Amino acid sequence: MAANFWTSSHCKQLLDPEDVELVPAADRERGIMPEEFRLVKIHMSFHIWRLAQQVKVRQRVIATAVTYFRRVYTRKSMSEYDPRLVAPTCLYLASKVEESTVQARLLVFYIKKMCGSDDKYRFEIKDILEMEMKLLEALDYYLVVFHPYRPLLQLLQDAGITDLTQFAWGLVNDTYKMDLILIYPPYMIALACIYIASALKDKDTTSWFEELRVDMNIVKNISMEILDFYDTYKIDPQRGLPDDKISPVLNKLPAKS
Amino acid sequence: MASAASSGGGDDDSAGKLLVNRYLKGEIVGEGTYGIVNKAIDTKTGNIVAIKRIRIGEKKEGVNFTALREIKLLKELKDPNIIELIDCFPYKDSLHLVFEFMETDLEAVIKDKHIVLSPADTKSYAQMMLKGLAFCHKKWVLHRDMKPNNLLIGADGQLKLADFGLARMFGSPGRNFTHQVFARWYRAPELLFGSKHYGSAVDIWAAGCIFAELLTRRAFLQGSSDIDQLGKIFAALGTPKPSQWPDMAYLPDYVEYQYVAAPPLRTLLPMASDDALDLLSKMLTYDPKARITAQQALEHRYFSSLPAPTRPSQLPRPRRKGDSGNNKIPDLNLQDGPVVLSPPRKLRRVTAHEGLEVNMHRADKVDEHPSGMRHTDEMSSHSSRIPMSVDVGAVFGTRPAPRPTLNSAEKSHLKRKLDMDPEFGYAE
Repeated sequence: MAANFWTSSHCKQLLDPEDVELVPAADRERGIMPEEFRLVKIHMSFHIWRLAQQVKVRQRVIATAVTYFRRVYTRKSMSEYDPRLVAPTCLYLASKVEESTVQARLLVFYIKKMCGSDDKYRFEIKDILEMEMKLLEALDYYLVVFHPYRPLLQLLQDAGITDLTQFAWGLVNDTYKMDLILIYPPYMIALACIYIASALKDKDTTSWFEELRVDMNIVKNISMEILDFYDTYKIDPQRGLPDDKISPVLNKLPAKS
Repeated sequence: MASAASSGGGDDDSAGKLLVNRYLKGEIVGEGTYGIVNKAIDTKTGNIVAIKRIRIGEKKEGVNFTALREIKLLKELKDPNIIELIDCFPYKDSLHLVFEFMETDLEAVIKDKHIVLSPADTKSYAQMMLKGLAFCHKKWVLHRDMKPNNLLIGADGQLKLADFGLARMFGSPGRNFTHQVFARWYRAPELLFGSKHYGSAVDIWAAGCIFAELLTRRAFLQGSSDIDQLGKIFAALGTPKPSQWPDMAYLPDYVEYQYVAAPPLRTLLPMASDDALDLLSKMLTYDPKARITAQQALEHRYFSSLPAPTRPSQLPRPRRKGDSGNNKIPDLNLQDGPVVLSPPRKLRRVTAHEGLEVNMHRADKVDEHPSGMRHTDEMSSHSSRIPMSVDVGAVFGTRPAPRPTLNSAEKSHLKRKLDMDPEFGYAE
């Protein structure tokens, strides 16, 4: 599908990996290193994920929210746009854009429930609504995002390996802990996930991939990045990153006004 | 794009104010679905623009859902026949959307009895409408509120689809959509039967109704309720047989109607050409799967046969409010016919005659738009009015019912439905 991906604003906004990983100047000044910048993004992706689980929205909404979140920090600094507020606001905005609105007061309620002890995560409705405007501007009002899920299902069907769906779907979910969605066309990410899944589950898809006539170097590169990610972080899928890794970084950001 | 100006102050509503150092605010020109619309001058380009101001935070739900839809879709849809969203910027407590300024809309053209629409003019409007629609559908966007007053017309005569507040992306099978879309007169039969899995064919049905309205100058199927709407459709096009529309009986709100045979379409639109009627019947095909697509419609013989569509810049314009009868229009718009200053009775005949010559169209035009030649009336409003043709509607009190829009009850129902849309994930 994604018949119109190639003419979409999403396609036009794809970035080079170096641009995505660049730490904004204001954050660099506060001593945030590239690795720490990445950690915060991973951590906040988890935060969005857990919050979304509470308010029960579709996978697509979560994926869009995380994409917004990551896109914002290719343009704005964390010092100026507090990630702890940007994250729930991205979920709020994505839920509206994807036509399954979650009320702001519900988000505020669940944030309190989830992070009750930590004051730095708590925000009021008006904070979210104010940030929504700033977010729209930071995103340059481009809101349509394409995801690997739909191509994934179609490609699995085409390859005749629908028994890998659940596994590959989980891999796609995990790609949102990375910046891949800002860099590669969604169907390439889907292909990489199929590539990994078929390799790990001993399915021979070599000839199928050959017939696709896509650049296998890109597919393999994405696959390597995904595997590297699992290797490097070994994240607990339930808890996310340990607090002692994240808190020191977040403490470098200016305190909530 | 513009960023919020930190400077500012003073009265936000005052005209003549420069917003975000770019837009010189003019008078209020209307109230849109979700905010006030001001005319303004874009000092960067010198163009006239329309700025919609959306107040936010009023109901504790941030940026209006409808506005957000419009932003989301219009940012992806750039086409000569779709309204251009030029810019967005926050200012004070509002989000401002900047659109290209449009002079009028197709409803005003259809209703303006001073305007004579030649077959070539009608073809031009139909073509621009379908071009805009074809582009939307290519991008997987359903408009879902096609009606003459959402088809805006620019100073250059270009017709553009506007008001994407009900529009949405489609293409994900198995997802439920609400059937409470479109103003009733333009609602496709599958929607009236409660279909929740519809596609671009619903826009085509509405476009077909608009096409018929262009040909006859009155709304084609004016139902007074949903049930009556179906009745009107069946009376005009015949009750569909299962062979014509196999899936009909399985639609959620399907009820059997008494069988009515279709009168020949020609009897409803006596003046339309054969090609026009053929295209119309394909746009108003009952089975949505068999209904013509926008792209196919554009390739229909109607658009390649003579007369060629009028160039947009040559199309007739409705008079703007405030233009008086004894007008002093300097740019003699020939499509409007000559201005007659002598006593009306004598000249009416002349007017009709010259009108014909000027327009160089077939004689059927007079019959097609009997009221189109009455533009001398206003000039003689003080004297006795003896119109050349009788306005049947006015005389017998059968003026067409006011054009329905989504009423507020339907709207809130719709909003509730859309906001709560319980659409969950992809199939496992």
